[in-house]
Amino acid sequence: MKLQFNLNGCHVEIEAPADTSLLSVLRDYLGLTGTKEGCGVGECGTCSVLLDGRLVNSCLTLAAQASGRQVVTIEGMSLPDGSPNDLQQAFIQYGAVQCGFCTPGMVLAGEALLASNSQPTRLEIREAIAGNLCRCTGYQQIVDAIQSTAQKRQEVNPNA
Amino acid sequence: MPEFQFIGKPTDRVDALEKVLGTAKYIDDYSLPGMLVAHTLRSNLPHARILRVDVSAALKIPGVVAVITCEDFMDHGRFGYPIADMFMLAYQRVRYVGDGIASIAAENKAALQLGLDAIQVELEELPGVFNPLTALNASTTIVSEQPWDAPEYPRGNLLTHYVVRKNDPQNELARCPVTLEEDYSTMHQEHAYLETEGALAVPWPGSSGVTVYASCQSPFINRGNLVRTLGLGEDNIRVIQPQVGGAFGGKDDLMYQISGQVAKLALLTDRPVKMILSREESLIASYKRDSMQMHVQLGADANGKLRASQIHATVDSGAYASITPFTAWRSSIHAMGPYRYDACHVDTDVVYTNNGYSGAFRGFGNTEVCFAIEQAMDELALMVKRDPIDLRLQNCLRPGDTTPHGQLLGDDVSLAECLEQVRKLSDWKRKHAAYTRQAAEPLTPGEFRRGIGVAAVFHGMSLGAEGVDFAVGTLTVNSDYTLTLTSGLTDYGTGSRTAFTLIAAETLGLNPQRFNMPRPDTDLSHDSGPTVASRATVLGGNATHVTAQRLASLLNKSAADLLGCREDEIVRHGELYIGPKEEPATFELVVEHAHKIGLTLTSRGRWSSPEIHWSMETGQGKPYFAYHFGAQVAEVLVDTGTGKVDVTGFWAVHNTGTVIFPQGACGQLYGGIAQGLGYALMERVDYDNGYIQATNFDEYLIPTALDVPDIVGAFVEKPFAAGPFGAKNLGEPGVVPTAPAILNAITNATGRRIRSLPASLERVLLGKDLRKEGSSTACKLGLN
Ligand code: FES
Ligand code: FES
Repeated sequence: MKLQFNLNGCHVEIEAPADTSLLSVLRDYLGLTGTKEGCGVGECGTCSVLLDGRLVNSCLTLAAQASGRQVVTIEGMSLPDGSPNDLQQAFIQYGAVQCGFCTPGMVLAGEALLASNSQPTRLEIREAIAGNLCRCTGYQQIVDAIQSTAQKRQEVNPNA
Repeated sequence: MPEFQFIGKPTDRVDALEKVLGTAKYIDDYSLPGMLVAHTLRSNLPHARILRVDVSAALKIPGVVAVITCEDFMDHGRFGYPIADMFMLAYQRVRYVGDGIASIAAENKAALQLGLDAIQVELEELPGVFNPLTALNASTTIVSEQPWDAPEYPRGNLLTHYVVRKNDPQNELARCPVTLEEDYSTMHQEHAYLETEGALAVPWPGSSGVTVYASCQSPFINRGNLVRTLGLGEDNIRVIQPQVGGAFGGKDDLMYQISGQVAKLALLTDRPVKMILSREESLIASYKRDSMQMHVQLGADANGKLRASQIHATVDSGAYASITPFTAWRSSIHAMGPYRYDACHVDTDVVYTNNGYSGAFRGFGNTEVCFAIEQAMDELALMVKRDPIDLRLQNCLRPGDTTPHGQLLGDDVSLAECLEQVRKLSDWKRKHAAYTRQAAEPLTPGEFRRGIGVAAVFHGMSLGAEGVDFAVGTLTVNSDYTLTLTSGLTDYGTGSRTAFTLIAAETLGLNPQRFNMPRPDTDLSHDSGPTVASRATVLGGNATHVTAQRLASLLNKSAADLLGCREDEIVRHGELYIGPKEEPATFELVVEHAHKIGLTLTSRGRWSSPEIHWSMETGQGKPYFAYHFGAQVAEVLVDTGTGKVDVTGFWAVHNTGTVIFPQGACGQLYGGIAQGLGYALMERVDYDNGYIQATNFDEYLIPTALDVPDIVGAFVEKPFAAGPFGAKNLGEPGVVPTAPAILNAITNATGRRIRSLPASLERVLLGKDLRKEGSSTACKLGLN
């Protein structure tokens, strides 16, 4: 079937079987490999993307469900010049990245949280990323990175 | 401590940028024109004779391009280190559920599935060995054959046996006023790297050779196996490691098989071939941390001074040896814990069964025995009414002590400092007293109770007396004044590339930004042995240091010539070279001058670990050249109504020597503790008659961000003389004492002791298992 949606700010149209997952469309049809597959059953969060701003597991989302909607992947997170945004920069600075396989999903989980809660507590951050597994970091530096980004954004724009 | 320019300062991990941007390439992110996809048909029986494998029908399916079995490899694809008992695809018998039988390459996934279904396999089921404790009984089926080149292995199902011997503990135990005798058991653990295994093989023109991109830990061992089993020369095989999405010890043997399978298929078809495992296939086919059954006897004086220990351990190696002979040797060496004894015996039996198979996993055999000895120490503390930290301080190894193995320790030993610091950091005295008082009171059902527990660790550095221990590094100054650094030790997320870069930058007095470190590649770097067992920082770091010193001396010669002075008159300021008279010279000028006077600005350095020795017969020697020490404290909240345990606080103090890459060091520590927390409370690999019961993350639970508390970590940075800039290794020990610290805390809260892993709800609540074992149908082979 024909699918069209907005991907990282651009309109895309593709032809794919009706049962294709959004993850497969992103990786296999569009070649955007930043979104990962860690389990294929909705348990690990490495396939996280934003669908109309909400964090979803793209392995469990049919591409058809994205039709006509806004999809944001890790490729859409960086600044226009290709450099990392403030949250991505904080991941680097706080040592929140080890093997990096969970990182794209974690960054999106962080963004989804900060969009709805500009001053999350550490517990709220942990809750927000609880659907994203990381086997390397023990999560602490990821929580640090998200928390510090929240604080910095708050300083720049106190009314957010 | 000397002031460093770069070492120990906050730094960005060298590959963090591409990882946060999502541009880092992992194996499944590769795609090439004409690429075939591959899959391996795996055994659904734990032990069977292969009567027939007929691939002819599969080959007739449109889209199926090639099918291979063990017959397509030299010597049936036999490989393995230290014991060559595995095959690229099963030969004559399958020995575990998940053993590969045949591999297919096809144009697309649909053809692949049809091809898999069309392979005809006839198996004759054989009795399986599932209980490691009866594996050695005379009547038990034999799992493995004797390899022709290793007549000493195995003896029946006994893969190998290790001893440690100091005096006669039974004699001592008979005279000790306080004795303890208990059994402890641990369970297999899955590495659960978030990236599953995978490899891509790209044939050279006319199939004259092959390049394999493999998500593995040790590219050189991988190449060695390919050379032997494909019948190609070393120059015709190149192994490149892409970004690896976690390994923790788990990406060796199965990855070597996958590499062999795709390489053979690529050579046969003359097309690129990629194979990626699904999570289910990964959980079923991959090796695990071994499980161990331990019988521990301790004897002490009435005041708690340890006198004797006698420990017997049975290690389940499963269907193949993998590197379990090394991990089990490490278990034997560490089984008595970091304590002084007048007498100590350890006996370790490593047995074959048909329960999957075991291999390297962070902690490398020490995690299992630490679980037993550190709980036994707490049990002893209760018996002699001593504070658990006091008891450990009274008995722990200190500088100048001799270990039960007969090894005289140096002045780098700092376990006492670690224990003292963690006691302070965790507010131990107050909490332990309060929780102990509370535990004495009768329990109201449903009440929440707090507890606190400690565990100590020592961890021998690098492979120890059984393995080859050296590493090689190279450095080249490029024409754009950047430097290229290589190391044969891989970085699969541990941050060792960053640490090596900092060591080179510090040694040369050049900014870390000037350095680039290509990913490990058998064509571009030098063999440095396996990347396991906490080898990277000390071995790889020292090799980098030696290499950088050689280059530094070349640059100094050039600078002295340029500045018209003696080499020893040169002073460095930032990147500048300053002589007594002339204007300071920049690095660029010094490099240009070196070219002018004909110096080649490359260097290669090798570092071998100091001499170690071990006698398998007498059970004495110097097993490791030095040890890492550490102590951890866990605080838990137990819901006595449901048995649910929350780890609410965690403190860890480790003797790391100089910390080279601080964010990396903390990350290794936190990550290790999180894995230890999973091991303690939730991670369950049950083999039911050889069938694993958890095949994805919905059944195999690993800690989420809500399960892991904020951890307070601290380092005892006493410089270690034999380490690069004084550093010790850190990657492994973080995971080792975590589980016993948590279980000791649970006992402190509830008064109940759990001696088997994991501390699941019913074990915490009732002290025993309710769980009915699963069935073989719960093990989905996940081939679709
Ligand atoms: S791949 Fe989608 S949740 Fe794991
Ligand atoms: S960094 Fe490896 S899984 Fe998170």
